[in-house]
Amino acid sequence: MKKNIIIVLALMVTAGCSSKSAVTPDEGTSSQPSLSSSSSLPPSPSGYGFDQWQTGPLGDVFYDYDSATLSTEAQEQLTQNGGWLASHVSKAALIEGHCDERGTSEYNLALGDRRAASAKEYLVRFGVNPSRLETVSFGEERPFVQGSNEDAWAKNRRAHFVVK
Amino acid sequence: MIQFFRGAVSCVFLLLFCFVSPLHLVAAEGQEYIAIRKEGSGNIALVLDKLDAKGRKETNFAQSLDVTMRDGLDFTRLFSLISPPLNVKDNSDRKNIVINFPALTSVGAEVYAGGVVTMKSDMIILDMKVYEAAGSKLLMNKTYSGTEADLRSIGHAFCADIVQLLTGKRSVFGSRIVFVSNKTGFKEIYECEFDGYGVKPLTNSRSICMNPALSPDGKHLAYIDFISGRPTLYIRSLTGGRIAAVGKSAVSIDPGWRNNNEVAATLSFDGNQEIYLVNTDGTLSRRVTNSKSIDISPTFSPDGSKMAFVSSRNGLPQLFIQDLASGQVKRLTFSGRYNTQPSWSPVGDKIVYTTWEKGGEINIFTINADGSGLMQLTQKSGENKSPSWSPDGEMIVFTSNCQGKEKLYVMSSKGGNERLLLQVDGEQTQPSWSLFR
Repeated sequence: MKKNIIIVLALMVTAGCSSKSAVTPDEGTSSQPSLSSSSSLPPSPSGYGFDQWQTGPLGDVFYDYDSATLSTEAQEQLTQNGGWLASHVSKAALIEGHCDERGTSEYNLALGDRRAASAKEYLVRFGVNPSRLETVSFGEERPFVQGSNEDAWAKNRRAHFVVK
Repeated sequence: MIQFFRGAVSCVFLLLFCFVSPLHLVAAEGQEYIAIRKEGSGNIALVLDKLDAKGRKETNFAQSLDVTMRDGLDFTRLFSLISPPLNVKDNSDRKNIVINFPALTSVGAEVYAGGVVTMKSDMIILDMKVYEAAGSKLLMNKTYSGTEADLRSIGHAFCADIVQLLTGKRSVFGSRIVFVSNKTGFKEIYECEFDGYGVKPLTNSRSICMNPALSPDGKHLAYIDFISGRPTLYIRSLTGGRIAAVGKSAVSIDPGWRNNNEVAATLSFDGNQEIYLVNTDGTLSRRVTNSKSIDISPTFSPDGSKMAFVSSRNGLPQLFIQDLASGQVKRLTFSGRYNTQPSWSPVGDKIVYTTWEKGGEINIFTINADGSGLMQLTQKSGENKSPSWSPDGEMIVFTSNCQGKEKLYVMSSKGGNERLLLQVDGEQTQPSWSLFR
């Protein structure tokens, strides 16, 4: 159910906004059934790893509270990312580790580093040459969603992929 | 030169005082300080008298010094400042000033401080005298001088002297605080004096700067800057302007100085977050920690032999202490599920840190280095973070969102007496108090 809402949200925002500085959609509009009429849009990646902040070919992965462990969904997304990287050998990726605002910023900088590293490690085991993968941590410094609630926090605990 | 001048003033004063007021016993100034207070006794009841001055310029400077000295002494929270009784001074003969000690003791004053401001060409001269009220005994007689630009430091030099005289300890005067502020829209590093005066930017990277820390001698500033695209440790010489960058190939986290030549920080270039000692030229001195988990936020005992730090080796972050010579590690904190941000007292065996509590509050605690004496310093006031000791160990600067935005506050090292340090736009975080003063 939650997953569906995220997909709908992603579609709505990709449809309505061309820039990254999109205003966070309010929750009230996300349940409007009229959104399903967006089928006329050009195809863009959707699903677990894609939202208004990730519209590129590589999907992001999300983490539990204070964890850098990869969930099943995260591993599926990374497998998909690995496939794309395998068929685009001239491309490299920067993996950014991010955390929610809770806790303290120094610890979150370390935690974000571990999140980025766990995603990289999975891709390397999948067969991607480590020289094509760079990691960095932003800790809690660059949240995707402003807000102090579990929905915002869950969106901010991620490894974000930037194709280079 | 200064010594001679001070001596001369002293002699003139003694002669004058004996002549005018033979009934008062005058004690000559001793060479060593007289600590008349016991540690732990209450505030010192002090009458800081209005400074005497003749002439318009002198009067203006005297008024300015009055404010600086009063605010300075108030900042230490060591004094109860009592208004001078109306008849505290008798200068009816227009030449000499006689202090009315019975009037002082009747208002409960323990100590009296007063002085005169004069000028010699462009130099401002402040002649201060401190008496014990009960015995009318002269405890200190000292002359301070400087230009108009030195007015604050002249006032604070007296404050430092009277605190050392009465407590036997050096105080915060002359120390500085470095911190992060986002008032330009970017997190940049700033510094201010111990009381929040004179805020000055130290970086203009228009990126993200974090965790500034001054070396004990104040010659170097270590901090984290994202200007290269990743969090990198920079060590800037504040005297020569040279900047060394460390750990460019990975992330760097939260530096803490061991001594003037070595700063410790977390570097993750080998794939894991480990603490290293780094020289001021940016070269690695040695690796300190070795665990598969997060190791961050090094802070050192005053002699540099032990390091407290945060590690997730047992799961959630807790504080540990490592002996640098033997490498032996002991867990320090067992209470609280998420303990981070340790800072080792510069004067003893206490460590201040923060606990992220179940209800969402973050509170500041102190604990002895042996694990005893756990004490909670903040409560029911939102998130209180990044505690850092004053150089005398009497106060703690920290950041709190108790009034909404994150701002810097100062409190007693035993908790309480909290007050806002500075009123600046935006949010101020990660304060670090200098050891020098």
